[in-house]
Amino acid sequence: MKTSRLLRRSIISWLILSPLIIAVLFPFAVMFITAIKPASEVLRPTWWPSNPQWSNFVTMWNATNFGAALWNSIYVAVLSTVLSIAVSIPAAYALSRFRFTGKGFVQQFLLISQMLSPIVLVIGLFRLLVALKLLDNLNAVVFVYATFNIAFSVWMLQSYFSTIPKDLEEAAWMEGATPWQALRKVFLPLALPAVTVTAIFSFINAWNEFVIALTMLRNQASYTLPIQVFSLVAGRYTVEWHHVMAAAFVATIPIAIVFAWLQRYLVRGLALGAVK
Amino acid sequence: MNRSIFTNPYVLIAPAFLLAAFIILWPLFQIGEISISNVNRFGQLRGFAGPDNFMAVLADPQFLASLWRTVIWTVGIVAGTIAISIPVALILNEDFYGRGLARVIIMLPWAVSLTMTAIVWRWALSGESGMLNSALMGLGLIDQNIQWLAQAATAFPVQIAIGILVSIPFTTTIFLGGLSAIPDDLYEAARLEGASGWQIFRTITLPLLRPFINIAVVMNTITVFNSFPIIWATTQGGPANSTDILVTYLYKLGFNFGKLGEASALSLLMFALLLFFTIIYVRLAMQGERE
Amino acid sequence: MFMSLHWLKVAAATGVAAIALASASYAQTVRVTVAEYSSKTGPYFEKAASEFEAANPGTDIQIEVVPWDVLQQKLTTDISGGANADLAIIGTRWLIDYVSQGIAAPLDDYITDDFRARFIDTFLSPSVMDGQTYGLPIAASARAMYYNKALFEEAGIAEPPATWDELKAAAEKIKALGGDAYGFGLQGKEIETDVYFYYALWSQGGTLIEEDGTSGLDTEAAYKAAQIYKDLIDGGLTEPGVTSLNREDVQNLFKQGRIGMMITAPFLANQIKEEAPDLQYGVAAIPAGPNGDRGTYGVTDSIIMFENSQNKDTAWQFMDFLFTTEKRAEFDENEGFLPVNAEEAAMPLFADNADLKAFTDLLPSAQFAPVIAGWEEMAAATSNALQRIYLGEGEIQAELDQAAAEINSIIEANN
Repeated sequence: MKTSRLLRRSIISWLILSPLIIAVLFPFAVMFITAIKPASEVLRPTWWPSNPQWSNFVTMWNATNFGAALWNSIYVAVLSTVLSIAVSIPAAYALSRFRFTGKGFVQQFLLISQMLSPIVLVIGLFRLLVALKLLDNLNAVVFVYATFNIAFSVWMLQSYFSTIPKDLEEAAWMEGATPWQALRKVFLPLALPAVTVTAIFSFINAWNEFVIALTMLRNQASYTLPIQVFSLVAGRYTVEWHHVMAAAFVATIPIAIVFAWLQRYLVRGLALGAVK
Repeated sequence: MNRSIFTNPYVLIAPAFLLAAFIILWPLFQIGEISISNVNRFGQLRGFAGPDNFMAVLADPQFLASLWRTVIWTVGIVAGTIAISIPVALILNEDFYGRGLARVIIMLPWAVSLTMTAIVWRWALSGESGMLNSALMGLGLIDQNIQWLAQAATAFPVQIAIGILVSIPFTTTIFLGGLSAIPDDLYEAARLEGASGWQIFRTITLPLLRPFINIAVVMNTITVFNSFPIIWATTQGGPANSTDILVTYLYKLGFNFGKLGEASALSLLMFALLLFFTIIYVRLAMQGERE
Repeated sequence: MFMSLHWLKVAAATGVAAIALASASYAQTVRVTVAEYSSKTGPYFEKAASEFEAANPGTDIQIEVVPWDVLQQKLTTDISGGANADLAIIGTRWLIDYVSQGIAAPLDDYITDDFRARFIDTFLSPSVMDGQTYGLPIAASARAMYYNKALFEEAGIAEPPATWDELKAAAEKIKALGGDAYGFGLQGKEIETDVYFYYALWSQGGTLIEEDGTSGLDTEAAYKAAQIYKDLIDGGLTEPGVTSLNREDVQNLFKQGRIGMMITAPFLANQIKEEAPDLQYGVAAIPAGPNGDRGTYGVTDSIIMFENSQNKDTAWQFMDFLFTTEKRAEFDENEGFLPVNAEEAAMPLFADNADLKAFTDLLPSAQFAPVIAGWEEMAAATSNALQRIYLGEGEIQAELDQAAAEINSIIEANN
């Protein structure tokens, strides 16, 4: 029976995945449990607080200026992703579909440019932004994130695009469609999983980025989430761990939502359906 | 074919290329300038130094030790990640009850910024106050607290394990994307011919996945080689530099000791190393594909 | 392509000019980079800024709070980009680099005799170089030994130990209790790992830098001091995993009542009041050596004015305001630091504080970090050697000699 095969496969799959799932969920469990411990118990490694303080999340929100940092992070991540993808799709399309002089050079450049550690680039980048008087400016951060993501996005998109057969577009051209129509109606739907994956990457990179934001943003009002959480821990004489853990936990939720929403696009057979 | 703006590759590439070039080349030029100058701890140039900074870095015994550790770190994490991600992607590619949930769970490490993950792990790994020890004790697996981060022999493997854990979501996603492009007919045909699961994997899946494995290796190597937060937040490269990799050593040189000239020279050396490796790997990989 | 580059420059120049014009009208803006000690630091400075602005209309004080861990990195990038603030808090041990590179501005033109008289001289002197004052001591502390009275009672220890031998004996008694408490809290990680060792070094009559300008680590006093600590670790008289615990970690264990004795700064007392009010603790002097030598570590953080500040006069007025007795008392009470103003020290809040008394009593034997270039590197060399010793990965004499050699070569390279 089909159902029992599915059931058996489900059980086996979950069993095989379980060690990984435990390892993955462990830090989240630590975060959550520490977040609801009362301040006096935070330092004891018990696995459930004697007196769960659900209100810690609320106090954390106020004490750590979470709302503002959350908004800043969303703003930066969404905008930089959109910008980066908008510019990368045509470039990747060109690289995967056309032959032209300088193609090899461009590909090499994009790959190589990702090899520099942000920690060292940051001094030069900082000087650049100071010269342009763009310090403490969220839009400047959007711009920097988007451009850093370009190399990566183009590389990823181009690799995926190369696996999409050209025949479909050529068939469309032969039927009289303009290149733009072929692009929109035939190519883009097929490229959707690739674009989605790349968008996820860009969004997460921007959401979690730390070194550049730390250097460029000066005012607590413009901090993004990673900086805000980090400032609760770094170098203080006493750290309010329950707040830190609560903040880290809550900061995960938007991305978890994005994942849950977008993972359906990785459905297999999408390409298959199009070929038929 | 109609010639339109959409078929001119240069126009399509221009915005992306120019932006990326600008944001990378300018700082790179600055680093190059600093690395051959005498520079004070505030990044102000004070004269020409030629190869002095490079010589100082190469002569430092910490450099070789960190380099060796960086190789172990990178190979360990990349190999471990790929080895685990392939089976995980295969499983997640099949339909089963709660697959969506499993996918989201496995992606979760990615949702937390690396710095926060590192801080949480450092907290959990604390010898006397950490929840990992209390969990292991509670399960009866150990009878005495393990001081995870007190010496490199336990700290470094744990750091590599954390690195693998945080790289799995990214790599699994790449593989899932690749697997979704493999048409079902191939599998059906193979099964009809009586091929076993392992044979199918080896002759169909693996070769079709190869370009994606290559992407994963290159991307992961670049990220892991330069990855700073995990080691920094847990041990700061210590105790006594015994868990230092090149990038943490770089940070100490530049920001703690104020030797920006040497730090810039080191970063160029790291860049050259990574470049060298990637070129060799891509060459080998492309040869493999041609065959 | 050439044309577009040209237009880009024009646009950029216009943009910059427009912004410059706009900012010219805020001639009285003073930016301050503040190092973050606790969650109270930011609000304190914001309040001080508002009070100052109210009393001095037309001024605008902008406070930027930076966590300690990244302060050096931020300052470095700021200065290298010419975007530094007007005032900044720095660790006084960094001051020498700022002075030698002309980054910090001398304050003597602003300091009147009255102003100077406000201060307790011990704290002002570390910021004086070549006869000129380059910073004001915004935070000052020393170190003393905290001990857990409840544990002492349980273990039958009558008095806090006065020498290292007595300390060892006391730790043995606490170990004999068999619970989850440890005798002596020893810090083996991150900042001030080397300082923790110096307490023992000084008690044996050792010095950091000898008379002849070389490192004091390759001396009998240093070997003995390291041996004392090593014996404590090997005998199970300290907490386990020494090299994985920084100062905050050891303090956390102390607050949980799991450490008998540890050496740290006044702010722990504040923390205990808030986080572990039931903990019975006392503060005593750091143990002395066989000859009665003892030493404590004096630390100051300075607030400096940058040479390239455009608003030095207003910045100075703000500094003056921060060093009035009221503002100082508020700050020190919040953060748990020692008073640097003579008038402040006489206030009942501080003078009657039994805990603080233990610290101020030690001030005569306070030693500060040597004011020499490359100190961070030297501290790192010392910490590394100590960590290897604590882990048993190196012999005491060999490690300390090697560290001394490294330090000597750094001294030579910088002078």
